[in-house]
Amino acid sequence: MFADLTVLGETGIPRTVLAELHAIVGSENLRLADGELVVYARDATPLFRGIPDAVIAPADTEQVARILRLATDHGIPVVPRGAGSNLCAGTVPLTGGMVLSTARMTRILEVAPEEMLARAEAGVSTMALGNAAAADGLFYPPDPGSRTVSTIGGNVATCAGGLRGLKYGVTRNYVLGLTVVLPTGEIVRTGGRLWKDVAGYDLTRLITGSEGTLGVITEVTVALLPDPSTSRTGLAYFDSLAQAGRAVSDILAAGVIPSTLEFLDRSCMDAVEEYAHLGLHSGAGALLLFGDDGDEAIVARSFERIAAACESAGAIGVQTAGDITESEALLTARRCTLPALSRLGSLTILEDASVPRPRLAEMVARIDAIAARHRVTMATFGHAGDGNLHPTCVLESAEDTEGIARAERAFAEIFHTAIELGGTITGEHGVGAAKLPYLEQRLGSAQMDLIRRIKTAFDPAGILNPGKLGS
Amino acid sequence: MTSDKVPHAGSIFDPKLLSRCISCGFCLPACPTYALTADEASSPRGRINLMRALDSGMLPPDDPTLAEQASFCLGCRACEPVCPAGVQYGELLEQWRGFQWTGRRRPTAVRFLIFAAERTWAHRIAGRLRGAAHAPAAGSRHSLMLGCFERSLFPEVSRSALALAPELAVPSKQGCCGALHAHNGEPGRGRQLAGQLGAQLPGQIVTTSGGCAAHLSAVIGRDRVAELSEYLQNRVTGQVQMGDRLARVALQDSCHLRNGLDVWREPRALLNAVAEYVELPGAARCCGAAGTYALVRPRDSRRVLGPKIDEIEAAGIDYVVAVNPGCLRQLRQGLRRRKSTVRALHIADFLRLAAD
Repeated sequence: MFADLTVLGETGIPRTVLAELHAIVGSENLRLADGELVVYARDATPLFRGIPDAVIAPADTEQVARILRLATDHGIPVVPRGAGSNLCAGTVPLTGGMVLSTARMTRILEVAPEEMLARAEAGVSTMALGNAAAADGLFYPPDPGSRTVSTIGGNVATCAGGLRGLKYGVTRNYVLGLTVVLPTGEIVRTGGRLWKDVAGYDLTRLITGSEGTLGVITEVTVALLPDPSTSRTGLAYFDSLAQAGRAVSDILAAGVIPSTLEFLDRSCMDAVEEYAHLGLHSGAGALLLFGDDGDEAIVARSFERIAAACESAGAIGVQTAGDITESEALLTARRCTLPALSRLGSLTILEDASVPRPRLAEMVARIDAIAARHRVTMATFGHAGDGNLHPTCVLESAEDTEGIARAERAFAEIFHTAIELGGTITGEHGVGAAKLPYLEQRLGSAQMDLIRRIKTAFDPAGILNPGKLGS
Repeated sequence: MTSDKVPHAGSIFDPKLLSRCISCGFCLPACPTYALTADEASSPRGRINLMRALDSGMLPPDDPTLAEQASFCLGCRACEPVCPAGVQYGELLEQWRGFQWTGRRRPTAVRFLIFAAERTWAHRIAGRLRGAAHAPAAGSRHSLMLGCFERSLFPEVSRSALALAPELAVPSKQGCCGALHAHNGEPGRGRQLAGQLGAQLPGQIVTTSGGCAAHLSAVIGRDRVAELSEYLQNRVTGQVQMGDRLARVALQDSCHLRNGLDVWREPRALLNAVAEYVELPGAARCCGAAGTYALVRPRDSRRVLGPKIDEIEAAGIDYVVAVNPGCLRQLRQGLRRRKSTVRALHIADFLRLAAD
């Protein structure tokens, strides 16, 4: 499962090709020194490393096209990278080659209120896009935990989810059109600005979530919604995570679809509290964070029903945030859960299993049993309303190979259990290099073959993101 | 390629501190040098990965990227408050420079400044000649610390501080706090000097420099140290007028005061009490002075300062106030180059202006 570290040394890219790359982007945007390459060896995923031969930062779609044409001609691997905040080793250059960074492509090209859409270059951060929409009274709902740093191009490439997924869906529900450079250098524009458009296969959806294996996304057109007039957040405390899971089922069964239903177990609460000092209940075993937005009266009614459902499910306390700042603090703290967990141990391996909502409480209980059986410390949080769980294994040190082996066995069992309950091995983080070994278990051999044939049709030379989807 | 002796793993950095970062990247938007380059190597996450490559021997000690990035970093620690994992980046940077900037690898400007800072007698004489504050310790419970370079560059600052808090003792015989050493490759000497100063001065040590405050309190304890605005609390009088209206004033945070000690509300409250306070959008971002940085890397220092001067010019303010002498010098130079009409003052001088 874990890749070996490539050794530093002579670049694997021919001198003549380097000269051409240099001519395309200029010297300061082509990095070749050892120290400049080491920092692109990893992303936010632990344990996966691969040192590239070059890092290249093009300024626009045209430059990307020229780079990819060269790469295909010379068989040089290209790994597209946004902010490198993904959690599936999707941007690790496992076989060397070039890391293609979109960090210079950061222009918001337009916000069109009359069409309720925005157009941005791939390197724009999710938060910057959201702020630009808000300035025109509009709303871009997908909000992955890393929204302050993640890029819209990376969000589309991984079909990122987030805290508002329950009511608003995920990135794919908002992508109207894409500008994509194929590995062979052609520039294609899929979809566009239309709400209805069925001309041809839905390539926009195919490329959304393709994890940089089919083409390099350089520009994105997203649909926007009107900014909701009110948004509120509240907390309910429970004795156990399984109990919080049951409350989630009850809330949804009562016909309420809030924007946010997140839960954290005790370990996660401790880590978040240490960072954010929110004054969370110290005696509770689990916390359910709920939020809703829209018209004030409707939000108030939805909050009453959520509070009632939590209380009848055995909540030991229910609080609602006083104002927007307090709401924002709660949501920010939830988004920081994963990095905050590293306060408990220096190696955190996180997973992303997803199950049908009614099986949530059962999945939580099964994870606990698996963790106990394999003697690993497991902290669990997740998007409870989506049935999407992030069990996170915390280890003292990255050198603890025996502990890592136990964690791997525990995660293999968790994946197996998720599939058995009708779920999946990744809800929103993606497959990347981290989950590729488990993919066939979920998809079966016929789909795996189809995926490989699609990959070959897009990328005949196999240069884009090798070792990931379609490889 | 000639390389120095490769150190064994764990000898440069505290392994516990170095292993804390999980590379989530939440620090990227906070980093002023990443904003300039959009290159991972000049981000906090990238630099920690460089430190790890040095620590493991993957990169040799004389690797040019290591040298460049250890020096390009402002050391502003803006990455710390945004880090959910609690990585102590400032501490790691001190350890990195402690190795990177030994002997001939230390920048010339840094060598000169440390040499100068060690000449305590010269600061004492210069301070007395230039008219920095002086008040013998008789009966005082707390003391005012005199910055090494502040004494001769801005002698009025300590006079104003003493006027605002006349109960403080200000002995001229006091050494350097060692912040300069700690941030520039001599962490051991930095701690030693802070310890000596802590023994020299009675009671709580009040400073007019955010950088000194953060370093001192890391060594001798948070409760022994107070930055001036923190010490004064609400003890201010008067108003600063511009003709018949209140003066409009903005604050430039001191990076280490804000990111290291979480002191930023206090100076704002004071300014708001005596004038019309205006928050600059980037008040919390480094001005580029960054201790020795303005001398070691003048060009980058000006690139960091540029957008800040734009903000100051656009804010329609009369004064911009600093809580650190280095920032004050940097702001004054930037405003002068722009021929701006906005005046930069140290908070002690601004509050004294209100009281007079």
